This record gives sequence, C-alpha cells and structure tokens, in this order.
Amino acid sequence: MNSFSIADELDQAVCNVLAGVETAGVNADLEMDELANIAAELQHLPQPQFKAQLKAQLTGRTVFDSAIVEPRVASQIQIARIRRETEIAVLPSLFGNSSDGYPLHQRSMAASLFMHVSALALVVVSGVWAAHHPTLKPTVTTTVISLADYPLPPSATVSHGGGSGGDRDPLKVSNGAPPKFSAEQLAPPLVVVRNTDPSLPVEPTVIGPPEVTFPKTQTGDLYSKLLVPSNGSGFGGGIGDNHGTGAGNGNGPGVGPGSGGGIGDGPYALGGGVSAPRPIFDPEPEYSEEARINKFQGDVVLFVIIGADGTPREIRVQRSLGMGLDEKAVAAVKNWRFQPATKDGRAVSVQVSIEVKFRLF
Amino acid sequence: MPAPVTFRRVPGINQTRKPGTAEMHLKVVENDTDERFLVEAAQRDPSCFAELYEQNFNRVYAFLARRVATREEAQDLTAEVFHQALAGIGGFQWRGAPFVAWLLGIAAHVLAGHWQRNPKRQEILAEDLELAGNDGSIERRAMIFQLVESLPEDQRQVIVRRFVEQRSIKEIAQEFSRSEGAIKQLQLRALRNLRTRLRSHHEQL
Repeated sequence: MNSFSIADELDQAVCNVLAGVETAGVNADLEMDELANIAAELQHLPQPQFKAQLKAQLTGRTVFDSAIVEPRVASQIQIARIRRETEIAVLPSLFGNSSDGYPLHQRSMAASLFMHVSALALVVVSGVWAAHHPTLKPTVTTTVISLADYPLPPSATVSHGGGSGGDRDPLKVSNGAPPKFSAEQLAPPLVVVRNTDPSLPVEPTVIGPPEVTFPKTQTGDLYSKLLVPSNGSGFGGGIGDNHGTGAGNGNGPGVGPGSGGGIGDGPYALGGGVSAPRPIFDPEPEYSEEARINKFQGDVVLFVIIGADGTPREIRVQRSLGMGLDEKAVAAVKNWRFQPATKDGRAVSVQVSIEVKFRLF
Repeated sequence: MPAPVTFRRVPGINQTRKPGTAEMHLKVVENDTDERFLVEAAQRDPSCFAELYEQNFNRVYAFLARRVATREEAQDLTAEVFHQALAGIGGFQWRGAPFVAWLLGIAAHVLAGHWQRNPKRQEILAEDLELAGNDGSIERRAMIFQLVESLPEDQRQVIVRRFVEQRSIKEIAQEFSRSEGAIKQLQLRALRNLRTRLRSHHEQL
C-alpha cells in the first residue's frame, strides 16, 4: 500500500473518530490501528491558546487577546476567573472551598451559617431585651441628719449631757432644781448671786432642750444634799463642783455629771454651737439579696453617736426597714469615719441620726 | 428535581488496552526533591506556580477530558482546578505523594461538583469517581497532547485544525492553498511522528 492510499485510509479513520464511530479493532493493519488510537486521543486535544491563556491568568500577566482567542472561550475563562477571584476575595469557604482547595460539604456550610445566624440573633435579641428590661441597680443614699428631727425616748438607765461651774466657794454646791434650758446660754445659773446689780440683766440658763422644764424651786444641783445656798467649789461661773457654766458635777454648759450641753453625761446634740460631724470615709451599704429579689426599697434611720475621735458607736436602728437592710446599714455605718463635731473649736461627741436610703431603679 | 444518579462498573483499563499500545504509569517528576522545591517556591511566591502548571497541565486536562463530553467543559474544569490549586497551595503539605496526585484530587472534587450542577447526566461511571493515580491512559493522553506541541509547525497546524477545530481536509487545503492530498500526507506524517515519539518516550521509561 503506497503512502497516498494509507493517507486516504487514515483520513477515513480520522473521519470516523471525529464522527464518534467506534474504530478500535476494526483496522486489520496494526499501524493503522495505532494511528487511529492516537487520533482518538487527539479529538480531545485542548485549544492551543487555552493553555497559555490559563497560565497567563494564573500568573496574572496577561489580558486576553481577542485576535487569537476564540471570544466564547475567552469569555468563559474570563467569567470563571472573575468568579473565582470574587469568591476568594470575599469569603472562600462561603462558596464551598476550603483553604486547601477542596470543596466543602454544603450541608456543613448551611449548618455553620445557621448557627452563626442564630448566635447573632441571640445577641441582638438579648441586647434589645436588656434595653427594655434594665437591671435593678440598687443605690444607697446616706444622710447625716440632726437628732432633733427624730426625738428620742428618754432613757431609763443612761443620762446624757452634763455641766458644772461654781465660783470656788468653800461649800459644795447646794441642792436645787436645774435652771431653765435654752439653746443658747447668755448667762450661767447661780445659786448665790454675787452681782446684784447687773448692767444688763439676763435670765440665767443652761444649754439643753428648751421644752424640758423643771419645778420652780431654788436653783441648784439635783444630786446635792447640801441645803445651804452655794454656787459650789468649782469654777467657770455656773453651779457645781467642777468647771463650766452649767449645773452639776460634770463639765460644760448643761446639767448633770456628764459633759457638754443637755442633761446627763452623754454627747452633744447638733446645734447650739455644735458643728455637725462630716463623714470622711463612708462606704456604701450593700443591698441585701432578699430585698433585691423582692424589689424592696425604703429608708433605714440609724441613731449613732459620733465620738470625739470620729468613730461611730452605739449604733441603733431608729427606723427599721427589714429584709436584711437594717443589718446592712448598721454594718456599713460601723465602718464609717467622721471628722468629729466641734464645740468652741474642740472635738466633742455628738449624737446624730443617719438616714440610709435603699433604692432600686 | 434532579434525576437519580446510577453507577455502572466498567472493565478495567488493562482489559481494553490494545496490544502494542504503550502501558504507562503516572510518573510526574523524576526527582521528588525538585518538585518539592517547586511547591515550596510557589507557596512562598504564587508567581512560581507557572512551572508546576507547565508540568501538570496536560495530565489534569487529560483526566478531565476523559470524563466530560465536550472540550469546552474540560477546559472550564481545568481552569477551575488550577485556580483552586493556586488558591489553596498554601495549605498543601508535602507527604511524599506527587503533586499531580493533589491536583487530581481537586479535579475529582471539581468534577463531582460539575456533575451535581448538571443533573442531566444521569449515569456516572463508578470509575470516574476514583482517583486516576494508576490510570495509564491519562499519562498516555497527556503525553500525546505534549508531543503535539513538539511537532513541526505545518504538521501541528493540520492536527489543530483537523482535531480541535474539526475542519475537513478540503477546508484546510483551501486555507493553506495546498491540495487535499498534501494535507492528508501532513496528517499521516503528524500521526506517525506522534506514534514514534510516543514509543521513544515509553522506551526511555
């Protein structure tokens, strides 16, 4: 067989291959059969410009040359490239591709998306809910107020206030009723009036509650047994055996064995020249859990004596609130420290009431 | 609703191979160290991916062309495989297997996705779902594609027009201003050249 006839026979085999006709084994000639097999492989040969075009895409060096690339193929490749670049740029795994290039399961992606959306929705909903349901934040307000606003019941065992005086008489102070109380003392009480002709007569008083009155008898010390009139052996101008301008064995302008104004031996009350103590360390009371749960609020009033050293003592609940708030208020105030009250520039003990306001809002 | 996919087992490659055809095995790069160096270079600098692309293009294309109906599909899927490979090469870990095995793994996933998106194809060969690491036909086809590039220009032009553009001998003869007999002779020489070079390559293995 000459080469022309072989070429014709081969072309016929090629035509069969391109037409999709099965050619394997139909050729008796072994060479023709081999060539037909190669021709069968060649029908899948890629377009010659495709390989270079794809390489240029991958290395990012080239723009499509429409003169050598078939427009349809070029557009397909271009679209594929743009789609691929977009997917990678935005979120590679969103389009089903993992970082190593393998596709991911769509169900897993959907489950992941669902969980993320759910979590985001939960955050948003909880935020909105919290905005409409603000947390009940307890606030506590404390105020140091005058005891005068909260009259105390008289104590059966403890007396407060005190005063003394005297004009260094050899005799002890004589028995008698306390002088008249007033908020401000202009002249000390006297049993024996030395100056019978004062230029400006003023009723002698001692510092104490003006509403407290005593029988109008001879002025003197309630505890003295001496009946002979005497201002006492003390000094300061009052009545007594100690010092001061009051009456009794104490010291100060009051009445009794204590010190300061008022009756007895206790601390001063505010006013009448006694400055209020000023808190310098006042930690806020805690809100009790029980009150917080029951959304309970109100005021607790404590009676407190602020010593001359600025420490509170003898703390008592004057107005109870319950739900554990009383205990919380007492525990907090117990740790308070004050700049003490002063009387005539000297630190003195005072009795005050502290109002603790528990609020939920 | 997509039609259900059915699987059909086909005879093995060795059973269908013609006597006298070369049996080739996938052998990508002689020296693994060189390929590993190329992969590491591409991981550091994606522009170095070109060399890996040149070495493996024909194999990936041959793998896909054997499993899709048209050349356009094969080209689109090949482009997708290499884009995915370039995007994911940073995560590639060298485990001793040739790089082309990783590429063919991507190709298999791309192919599966292609079939899912094209439910018209109701029948998928079970063989198609397996990796072609030991498929000699891929290497043979890839080698043929590569050898076409080394043919003399006139022979290569005839092959391209005849098999890629599927033009008739008469049309080619008119384009080149030659007789139909001359074009047939060029076609014959080109195919003989390919057979000779294919045998030579096989003997070198």
